[in-house]
Amino acid sequence: MRTTWREHAYHAVLWLVALVFFAPIAWIILSSFKTADQILATPPVLLFRPTLDNYVQLFARESFLHQLFNSLFLSISAVLIAVAVSFLAAFSFSRFKPAGTDFLMFLLLSIRMLPGSAAILPVYLMYVGFGWKDTYAGMILFYAMFSIPFSVWILKGFIDGVSPRFDETGRVNGASWLRIITRTILPQVMPGVIAALIFNFIFVWNEFLFNYIIGGLQTSNVPVALTTGLYSSGGVDWTFISALTSVYLVPPVLVVYFFQRYLLVGMTFGTVRGEV
Amino acid sequence: MPGELAAPGLHARRPAGGGIARFLGRRTVLPGLLLIPVLAFFIVWNTIPTLWLLGLSFYRFSLTSGRAPIYAGLLNFQNILNDSGVWLDLSRTLLFVISGVGIQTVLGMLLGLLFWNSQRLPGRRVALTMLFAPMVLTPVASGTFWRLIYDPTFGVLNSILRGIGLPGTNFLGDSSTAFAAVLVVDIWMWTPFMVLMTLAALASVPKAELEAAEIDQLTWWQRLRLVLLFHGKYILMLGILLRTIDSFKTMDLIYNMTFGGPGTTTQLVAITLYRRAFEAFNMGWSSALAVILLLISIAFTATFIFVLHWRDKAEA
Amino acid sequence: MTIRSPTDLNATTGVNRRKLLTGAAALTAAAGLTYPRHVFSQTEKGHPLAGKSIRMAILGIAGWLPSKLGVDMSPDFAKYAKVRYGYDVSFSFADAPFGQLFQKAATSLATRSAEYNIIISDSQWLGALATPKWIVPLNDIIAKNKELDIEWFAPVVRQAYQTFPDGTENRYGFPQEGDTIALFIRKDLLDAPGEAEAFKARYGMDMPKTWEDFEKLSIEDYTKLAEFFTRPDKGYHGAAMQYSREYDFISCPLLSFMRSQGGDVWDPKSGQVQGIMDTEVNAKAMVQYKAMLKYQPPGAINYGIAEIVDVFTQGKAFSAWQWAAVGKAMIPAAMQGKVIVVPPPGFKQADGSLKRDYIIGGQPWVLNAFNDDAHARVALDFMKWWYLPETQLEFAKRGGNPCDKATLTAAGFDDLQPWYRTYKYMLPRSSDFWHDAKYSEMLAVQQEAFTAYATGQINDPAHALAYTACKQQDILFDSGTASKQPTGACSGIRL
Repeated sequence: MRTTWREHAYHAVLWLVALVFFAPIAWIILSSFKTADQILATPPVLLFRPTLDNYVQLFARESFLHQLFNSLFLSISAVLIAVAVSFLAAFSFSRFKPAGTDFLMFLLLSIRMLPGSAAILPVYLMYVGFGWKDTYAGMILFYAMFSIPFSVWILKGFIDGVSPRFDETGRVNGASWLRIITRTILPQVMPGVIAALIFNFIFVWNEFLFNYIIGGLQTSNVPVALTTGLYSSGGVDWTFISALTSVYLVPPVLVVYFFQRYLLVGMTFGTVRGEV
Repeated sequence: MPGELAAPGLHARRPAGGGIARFLGRRTVLPGLLLIPVLAFFIVWNTIPTLWLLGLSFYRFSLTSGRAPIYAGLLNFQNILNDSGVWLDLSRTLLFVISGVGIQTVLGMLLGLLFWNSQRLPGRRVALTMLFAPMVLTPVASGTFWRLIYDPTFGVLNSILRGIGLPGTNFLGDSSTAFAAVLVVDIWMWTPFMVLMTLAALASVPKAELEAAEIDQLTWWQRLRLVLLFHGKYILMLGILLRTIDSFKTMDLIYNMTFGGPGTTTQLVAITLYRRAFEAFNMGWSSALAVILLLISIAFTATFIFVLHWRDKAEA
Repeated sequence: MTIRSPTDLNATTGVNRRKLLTGAAALTAAAGLTYPRHVFSQTEKGHPLAGKSIRMAILGIAGWLPSKLGVDMSPDFAKYAKVRYGYDVSFSFADAPFGQLFQKAATSLATRSAEYNIIISDSQWLGALATPKWIVPLNDIIAKNKELDIEWFAPVVRQAYQTFPDGTENRYGFPQEGDTIALFIRKDLLDAPGEAEAFKARYGMDMPKTWEDFEKLSIEDYTKLAEFFTRPDKGYHGAAMQYSREYDFISCPLLSFMRSQGGDVWDPKSGQVQGIMDTEVNAKAMVQYKAMLKYQPPGAINYGIAEIVDVFTQGKAFSAWQWAAVGKAMIPAAMQGKVIVVPPPGFKQADGSLKRDYIIGGQPWVLNAFNDDAHARVALDFMKWWYLPETQLEFAKRGGNPCDKATLTAAGFDDLQPWYRTYKYMLPRSSDFWHDAKYSEMLAVQQEAFTAYATGQINDPAHALAYTACKQQDILFDSGTASKQPTGACSGIRL
């Protein structure tokens, strides 16, 4: 009996911790069902008749749907490209260890260690020079570039874990490298591929600075919309912000829920394997 | 050839089939071929811009002056090193990184230890999703909404404080509390990450050790020792390093909360660079600062890789 | 140009006033532009774009009503252009808040991009946009198109929204909206029974009640009023002013305090800042401005334009210093009849007179220099349409602030919107600060220093000013605008 009581208390504490961390987000979601006056009401309103107006208005904005599409399109295509090319490179690094592997891996990583404002500065100047600003190709390829380092790191770790014997067996049986890579290696490193995909997806999905600087009217994503839409005609547009944030939070939260076991691999770009 | 045993180390074996397959099979070509896409990306989006950056850092160049860049040697670097503002921003960033990552690590480890053995928690997956949600919330949104939470007139935090009889505080507006207030949001966002790392470190404790001890009965200190004894310590170290690097880059979150203010109390170096580059358009000066930050980042990366190798050696 | 008879205007005004009372939203929906028939009979033959279809992009200020009106009214231009010039035009819009709009525009223009064909620029940006030749110089265009040579209500309109460099005849912008600081007062609180007597008993002076009373109000007496209405127990405070570090938020009212008392920020001719910015007068103004925080809600130190709208409309402030441009938002339906808009206080001069030398707001339209011929032509047609008397009147009806003399002096104008009388009064009493290519760099330094003092990060106003002056002098010397180097005292100066 005593253990059950203890266990209940223990579980209650765990839930409390989770709820404390979730509370500010819950507050955002709650606000999204309030009117503008209710959001600003003091003391805060806890009981109210929820309204869907904020969502109706949000989806009625032509620009919002366009930006939501951009968010999806940019993040999905950039991540797919990045993981595809990274997989090839990771395979090469893992199996053939070409000269300079360590150095290249190091350089790749250092790109990601740079503060965003330092990283974007030269790219911006280059995009100015080449006229690539505010083009889908320019944005997608840039995001792909930014997703490559972690993808290579994650995938190399996973491919290292696949015994070269598999390749050898395939080679001996006359299979082409392409076949070995796609049929033999890929299925075995699927967890790594998924981890790379979700981690970079979350990054590109939430990215603001690069999109703001090298994007434009055509390619702006939702975080940019959020920053520029902060003010309505007078006042801070809290209803817009809360509804937009709530909608935008759904995909990453679903990813965390369904791919929880890959989260660690992604967040540490493959240097730490393990499950939550 | 069929029937031969596949042995490791025989990559160079001449492959069956003709033309392309043979060409692809040659060790010297295939590895390079596989690397071409990534290298192309790397050269176009990294090497060229970095060289561009390096070049510009030696020039006086303002995007809004309408004049071509003028060669200035090391002038920009000199100006930055002599600029007390930049040094203040750097030391503020250092304080932000050390205190933020420190608290996240301690708190994250405590919570991680707490969550150990939580397999039987009802709705565990939902609870963990809620715990990890701050990490995946768009930083722009976090920053903006925390502004409202902190607001002294309309914010829920001050309502609570007043409700329990404490004086209201203008957290983001008061230069004595703004830094701490921003730090708290960073801690809220990233403590879950250190929980994640701690759980991974715990998962790395060998099974045999666990079987010897009843986890329930262990004191916190004993649990911690279990983790630190084995290579969990490398995992934790990697976590701390990752957070350090990330924290050094913090920008979106603070920019949307305080714009670096009040005064300069929350101005981290990434914000300084952003403002000089994209608000003042002083590209020469900003390039030089970016080069300096690049060097710092490379140092961080080198440390990171050093720890990785250290772990690999220790494990081997 | 049609000559509007005053009676016509009065008639429309009357209708409009009633509509105003029934709600602002209905007004926008119901109102439509009507042009006199002759406009359409003048269909231009052989317009080079006749029969073509053009898409224009406008970049404007997010959450800024006059900017939005320019956008909202553009379909009327499309109709007009179709009939008059024979081409189809459609518009797309991008916007960004004040703090980020300049970088949005500049990062795009630096690529020589025609992404945004027409841009609503802030007045101080003219130099930064004109110097790199990103926007079209207008002298030749205005010379060729006399209808664009408009007589403005006050010389400051041309100085602030058109001219760069200061003191020259070179024009780069077309006024989009004029704007001044206005004082929004909760009339219902002011008129509450017993208040006037209590005020008189406490301060020995009559409580200001009418627009004329406020015209005669000095900053000292205003402070009394703010103190009197600071009632935290009732949930409201006496004043709300801007102190935010974002963009130019703390600078505009604070520089108004300085200038109205004889201070200044620089000498536009020599580019000299030191000795002008770091003066005792300015330091005193900083102390004064910070002292006003006592009468404001606790969050005032973060207040920008939007925050002031929120506190005022939520009933947390008795009075608010706010741009006339957001008048519509400051007086929502629930506040109708409870607010009067009056001139912000004057500052006593040595001779006992009151002086108001406030910072001007408002924005010009500027035209992208990288527009192709077709877009350049449409942009020009758009400007001509914008200054048609009918368009300007419609703009005024919807709550924008026109600048042309004809509209502002038309009978009935003052009553068109609650803040128009004040706007008209303040316009000649307002002026701009630097038009310089380096304005954003100078502004960043100044905002840092001013907010550092206001928030208590540093305690000496003179030091904040010295720091600002040194840094700005350095920026201007570096760019070649200032002839003198910063003095030795500047080396190593820090906040």
